[in-house]
Amino acid sequence: MPFLSHGSYRIRYEVEGPAKAPAYVLVNGLTQYAELWATYCNALIARQFRVATFDLLGQGASDKPALFISQDDQVEALHLLIKELGDGPVFLSGISFGGVIALRYAIAHGERLAGLVPMSCFAELPPQLFLLGNALRTGLILGGTSYLQDLLLPMNVSDQWLKPVLDKLDSVKRQGWLVNDVYALQNLMESFLDFEPLTPQLASIGVPTMILNGEFDFLTPRALHETLRVHIPNSSLVIIPGAYHAFTLEKPALTVDLLARFAEDVLGGRWQGNKAVWIAPEEAGGAFAPFPAGYDHLRAIPMQGTAR
Amino acid sequence: MSEFFGPLDSEGGVPPRQQTRVAAFLISAHGALARQFAFALPMKLKSAWQTELNAQFYRESEIVSLLLRAATWVPDLALAYMAATWEGAWLLQPIKVIPDQSLALVVDLATRAHAVHASIRPAALLPVEANPHDPFVMALRRIEFESGRLLQAQILLLKGPELVPFRDAVSSALERRHAEIRRLWTEALEGVGIANRRAE
Repeated sequence: MPFLSHGSYRIRYEVEGPAKAPAYVLVNGLTQYAELWATYCNALIARQFRVATFDLLGQGASDKPALFISQDDQVEALHLLIKELGDGPVFLSGISFGGVIALRYAIAHGERLAGLVPMSCFAELPPQLFLLGNALRTGLILGGTSYLQDLLLPMNVSDQWLKPVLDKLDSVKRQGWLVNDVYALQNLMESFLDFEPLTPQLASIGVPTMILNGEFDFLTPRALHETLRVHIPNSSLVIIPGAYHAFTLEKPALTVDLLARFAEDVLGGRWQGNKAVWIAPEEAGGAFAPFPAGYDHLRAIPMQGTAR
Repeated sequence: MSEFFGPLDSEGGVPPRQQTRVAAFLISAHGALARQFAFALPMKLKSAWQTELNAQFYRESEIVSLLLRAATWVPDLALAYMAATWEGAWLLQPIKVIPDQSLALVVDLATRAHAVHASIRPAALLPVEANPHDPFVMALRRIEFESGRLLQAQILLLKGPELVPFRDAVSSALERRHAEIRRLWTEALEGVGIANRRAE
């Protein structure tokens, strides 16, 4: 298990796939660990990508700073990992908390990226998300990691995903409970206590950017992704039908396909962001559909008029 | 060597030798905290934060009491040496850069309590097959759950405004305490065939 060194801390990472291939770097969400990307690694390698995964500081097998974890340190850890990949094209994708770290990286070191895919992501903490974050943190403090998982699971995945595992949720949660420590998760969550909106800096992200948002994501709803679409110049917003916040977990085949097609389009010179709004296919390999003209993609009911 | 207790007995119970070693370590660590909280606890509370000190004292005492009664004890010759090493590690080591001696002692106590509550996860040693109705299994789950709550007092103090001028020193002392306690815990577990997945 290889490690990078950031000061006195160690960051566990894995790089797999052909050495000279374009690379995808995948950044974990809050309660994730690198192994959860295994399906993505296999599928992306099969499509001739190299894949790098790692545990953020405070997660999994990386060191867990005892008192504070700054998001700047997470960006620095990511920078170290990307340096390991050499000079080839690098596509960076992160989900939720990892999406924020990916955005920060793109703002600080965008010149190193060929493309960016923020998923279930946000650049600001409006009141709903701020209060939800505080409530989740209180849940962690009072009820431990298991209770935080209990809160996140029904928020982040669909009934269709939950129904067959409803009587074995403990086993679904167990590995996450084993590798995550309360104090480390709390430190990760508290790295938002001094969070400043990234919105004013989004325009500096010059790389092709595909923003992925689940249709029913109510933890980080459409409006938060809209901020990214409006401010990142070469971006498109892609809405994933029927998906919730954790669509990487629920729809891996579709998500891998979207990631691969995005990178292939960028590398093939076909990508045009145009700040467009698209609807992703239901299944991998399907066709994208433009969001119907004349309707507002920020509404859940088909209201005429558009925010674009 | 496994990362979990075992092999379990036919009723899903943890081997007595492992129970003895783990319970002895936890009693030593939480017992030392209970003693030091007891010394710090005044007969008459004068500040609101001292109510938390009272709670910490009783929770630590409860953990000791619980383990004494829930564990199955068997002779463990290595305990004589190990317990002496553990007790030595719980001695106060005030942080030198904090000029207020009483604050320095409180910070030291908090760093040790943080390390015990945060980095020792006895319930994570339980395999899936462990019997949830076994008193030792239940005790470990309860201790880990309570530790997560007790930890909050240490976090509030160590991240608090009073210690901002000493932040680097406090962080370093805390990391040292974590490493020290993780090492002791790892050694205690290795002697009974358990590999600590958080070993240095």
